[in-house]
Amino acid sequence: MNKFISKIGVIAVLLVCFSFNANAQRKKANRDTKEWRYDVECEGIAKQGSKLVKVWSYSKNPKFAIEQAMKNAVHGMVFKGYSGGGNGCTSFKPLVTDVGAESEHAVFFADFFKDGGEFRKYVTAAADGNIAPGDRLKVSKKEYKIGVVVNVSTDQLRKALEAKGIIRGLSSGF
Amino acid sequence: MKKNIIALVGFLMLAVSFSFAQAKKPTIMVVPSDVWCNQNGYMLSYNNQGTIVKIPDYKRAFQENAQVLQVISQINGMMAERGFPLKNMESAIKTLESNAAEDNMRSSKDSGSGVSESPIDALKKVAKADIIMQLTWTINKTGPKKSINFNLQGLDAYTDKQIATASGTGAPSFAAEVPVLLSEAVLSHMDNFSSSLQTHFDDMFENGREIIIRIQKWDDWDGDLETEFGDDDEELGIVIEDWLADNAVKGRFNTTDMTADMALFEQVRIPLFNEKGRAIDARRFVRELSKKLKDAPFGIPNKVVMKGLGRATIILGGK
Repeated sequence: MNKFISKIGVIAVLLVCFSFNANAQRKKANRDTKEWRYDVECEGIAKQGSKLVKVWSYSKNPKFAIEQAMKNAVHGMVFKGYSGGGNGCTSFKPLVTDVGAESEHAVFFADFFKDGGEFRKYVTAAADGNIAPGDRLKVSKKEYKIGVVVNVSTDQLRKALEAKGIIRGLSSGF
Repeated sequence: MKKNIIALVGFLMLAVSFSFAQAKKPTIMVVPSDVWCNQNGYMLSYNNQGTIVKIPDYKRAFQENAQVLQVISQINGMMAERGFPLKNMESAIKTLESNAAEDNMRSSKDSGSGVSESPIDALKKVAKADIIMQLTWTINKTGPKKSINFNLQGLDAYTDKQIATASGTGAPSFAAEVPVLLSEAVLSHMDNFSSSLQTHFDDMFENGREIIIRIQKWDDWDGDLETEFGDDDEELGIVIEDWLADNAVKGRFNTTDMTADMALFEQVRIPLFNEKGRAIDARRFVRELSKKLKDAPFGIPNKVVMKGLGRATIILGGK
């Protein structure tokens, strides 16, 4: 009976440790997003109203990098943009060009980019979320750099930000 | 007490009118460039006193070239999706033609008189917009490979400034048809174009609309811009400059030319609304200067001539 209780105890301690570890990694991934520690590159010409991009995210665990890629892609379209490249890509300016907008609307963006937040409405995984072999890079002993291709509905995202008054539309004021 | 309430109500009404006021919206139209028309053979030639002059034949381009329709339609659609529908040039040309035909046939029921039209009115009957989106594309071919060089320029019809742009060469393709490459070119460039147009509008809302003002005089007027007025014998040209410095947003304007007979002011920044909260354009702005010149001590009768939202001329010496 004592052995059984001690086994249960060990399992419980391990579960708590795993959960702390997962939580810490998720927090780190979110911190990376806030600190803009990710790269976005154009992957090709998408259908009208959206952008096909490859997002490179950093994490100890590749699983978290894949999850975080969605958030990073939307964050990238809103604040970072990307330079042009091959496949007929041209540069894309971020939707929010006002440098103070992120802090000015901090509450909105915190809620928008929370885990499972509204940002998920504007992004879908391309290639069924599969990672190409060359897009899983081990950059240090403890960290991976993972490239995930996603599709961001930039027109819908822009309209949502216009509706919230965070950015101006072309016809605003006329 | 009653006076205070009236003042408060007045202030609130003014505040409400300002908060709901909308600036005059510029019209935008996509126009194939002269280069494109020339390269594709859509030009008209005529002999102007010994010099062969070539002008674009837009009507034939729209009737014969499906690619130009495809590109313009796609651009129009994408701009409409952004809440900024564009004027369609092909429809504008057709409307002008049908209006001209109707005007020629119209006569008064009472007197049989036709519709009045001055030579200037006839000259102004062309398809126009406040901002021209000038479109050029060329197809590059290297062996079986094809790519599209795309150039879209946003030009202010009054200041002649390029206010927005998007240009570049698409990815070369062995298999894709030209219409597909064109569609990709529009898709990849429109975001950049609308982004630079947005920057122009943001600047306009912050620093005022940029216009051009010309001052001219009728031949038979005995005064000119060097005529002196008032106690300090100030020249009329300087009086007009002082008025602009007082009324332009942040006093911004350039005196490009000033002679005894004419003056040209460029980069004049005018407010988007007057003190009543109403949207104004170049004509409404210049109207105030016209009134000042009519009144004492100047007493100069004058005529205000407008061209769209951004260009106005005052002709001194009569209507």
